[in-house]
Amino acid sequence: MICAARRLLAVLALALVATASRGEVYQEPAAFIAEVFGSLPAPKVLWLTKDLQAQAAAILGHPPAQLRQRYWSDARRSVWILEETGKEELITAGFVIADGHIDHVRVLVYRESRGQEVRQSSFLKQFKDAKLAQGDRLDRDIDGIVGATLSVGAMERMARLALLFDLLSHG
Amino acid sequence: MSKSVLTLAVAATFAALPASAQTIDEKLQILQQEIDQIKAQQAGKPAAPASQSASAPTDYGTMLDRSSGLANGATNIIGYGEAAYSKFRESGNATADLARFVFGFNHRFDERLTVHSEVEFEHAVVSADDQGEAEIEQAWVNYKLSDGVNFKGGLFLIPIGILNETHEPPTYYGVMRNQVETRVIPTTWRELGVGVHGLFGEGFRYDAGVTTGFDSGKLDDPLTGIRSGHQEGQLANATNLAVYGALNYRLPGLLVGAGVFSGDTGQNGASNPALQGVAARFTIWDVHAQYRVAGLDLQALYTSGTLGDADKVTAAMFSADPATAFAAPKSMKGWYVQAAYHVYKRGNFDVAPFVRYERIDIKQAEDPANGLLQDPRNDERIKTIGVNFWVHPQVVLKADVQRYETDKTQNAFRVGAGFMF
Repeated sequence: MICAARRLLAVLALALVATASRGEVYQEPAAFIAEVFGSLPAPKVLWLTKDLQAQAAAILGHPPAQLRQRYWSDARRSVWILEETGKEELITAGFVIADGHIDHVRVLVYRESRGQEVRQSSFLKQFKDAKLAQGDRLDRDIDGIVGATLSVGAMERMARLALLFDLLSHG
Repeated sequence: MSKSVLTLAVAATFAALPASAQTIDEKLQILQQEIDQIKAQQAGKPAAPASQSASAPTDYGTMLDRSSGLANGATNIIGYGEAAYSKFRESGNATADLARFVFGFNHRFDERLTVHSEVEFEHAVVSADDQGEAEIEQAWVNYKLSDGVNFKGGLFLIPIGILNETHEPPTYYGVMRNQVETRVIPTTWRELGVGVHGLFGEGFRYDAGVTTGFDSGKLDDPLTGIRSGHQEGQLANATNLAVYGALNYRLPGLLVGAGVFSGDTGQNGASNPALQGVAARFTIWDVHAQYRVAGLDLQALYTSGTLGDADKVTAAMFSADPATAFAAPKSMKGWYVQAAYHVYKRGNFDVAPFVRYERIDIKQAEDPANGLLQDPRNDERIKTIGVNFWVHPQVVLKADVQRYETDKTQNAFRVGAGFMF
């Protein structure tokens, strides 16, 4: 009985160490970009002119924090690393846009102790193939997650912004 | 030094200028703003060290063209509030109330350690002559080992039901919170204690911990089950502690979960000497589900609780003050079903009519000899029909009509507004 309890404690300790090593940075942005392109290409810059700042503010509900947006692209795809506040803290996410549609999304850093469900594939796959519709909105509804309302909203706003930036990066 | 940094920054920025789109004037204007920001940062912050230690947070600023990083040392402010106008059908009376305004500070000490707090003001004015209350709703520290393992300690919300942890006005239907999660599950229910919580698998979240519990010697409301025995971290009698556990499964549009809380409430007679040596164990559990599909929003909850030694609690109340004594709750059950449909969505606007049916059944430990009997209002059925109109995802206007089958004095038409940030 005592041996079994010790074994259980040892397993729990190992599980704790294993999970503790994962931390809250799920993937470095550079690694995400390199994964998309096979290597880390030189960044390009989208300047946020007054008009673009106004468009971005309309999506975000607040002025964008950046004056220029770095991005990475090849002939077909572009990658945007964006940040937006969920309930309390910034969420860092990577968006891959291909031919004006979202190819895939990944949450790279999640800082809050609640709402991490937005990084799960069941949530993120809803963005697959989404594109901008009228009013810079997504062409579909994104189902929310109970208890993570504000984080879901932040992810949706970033998706819209990535699509807008991609559109404008093509001039 | 600072001039060379500025020069390098400007040169690097020019080197990255795209050949397309914006005019030179616009680019210069943006560059000037960036230079101003760099100057402001240099004036307000000490010079950055030549190299960062291996444990320093990643500088996402180089990726994001902003200096956010992990925002260690950052303090955030959150808040929510709601106001309601109620017109009571039977009496014809009406009230208007700023039901609550809540603000909170959240602070990050480092990548793993954070503190969370909420301060609540109810009914606008707090004084000895008014009904308002000022209270700390949450104040807890979280240490995050990983998404899978978080430790927390302090005054925090108990993960029972749907509403207790997610109770910001734009997140629920109806001007008032549902009565099952008010009278049976005592939302907003918080305790002092320690706990562990985290995610595992795809969508599972667990919670477990040890906290303070209720004090049945403090019961003073016959209509709210165990609610009036809550201690809320206010010099809580903690001779008897409680344990809780919860498991929830969340996918987009879906929540299925359950929770349980159990602990003795006699507190060795600290509030009522007649309860010395009386366990008066209180146990409550719930199962709940929410499903959203194609504009339809369905929600259901069932909860059941028992208070052991309820007859002794009734006797203790009578011995302390026969004038205010009542029959203590011995069992409490409640359930509700709710359906809403989003009939209009355009931009930020979202309109969703809803209906809800609630059933409350609180059984009391009667003492007929002393005239302490079951209150008929504890056997209640409530129908609510109304509409939520979100003018922004975080700002909602509401209207509803409520019909109580037993306590008809509560029948009312209400309009309200709520927000969160």
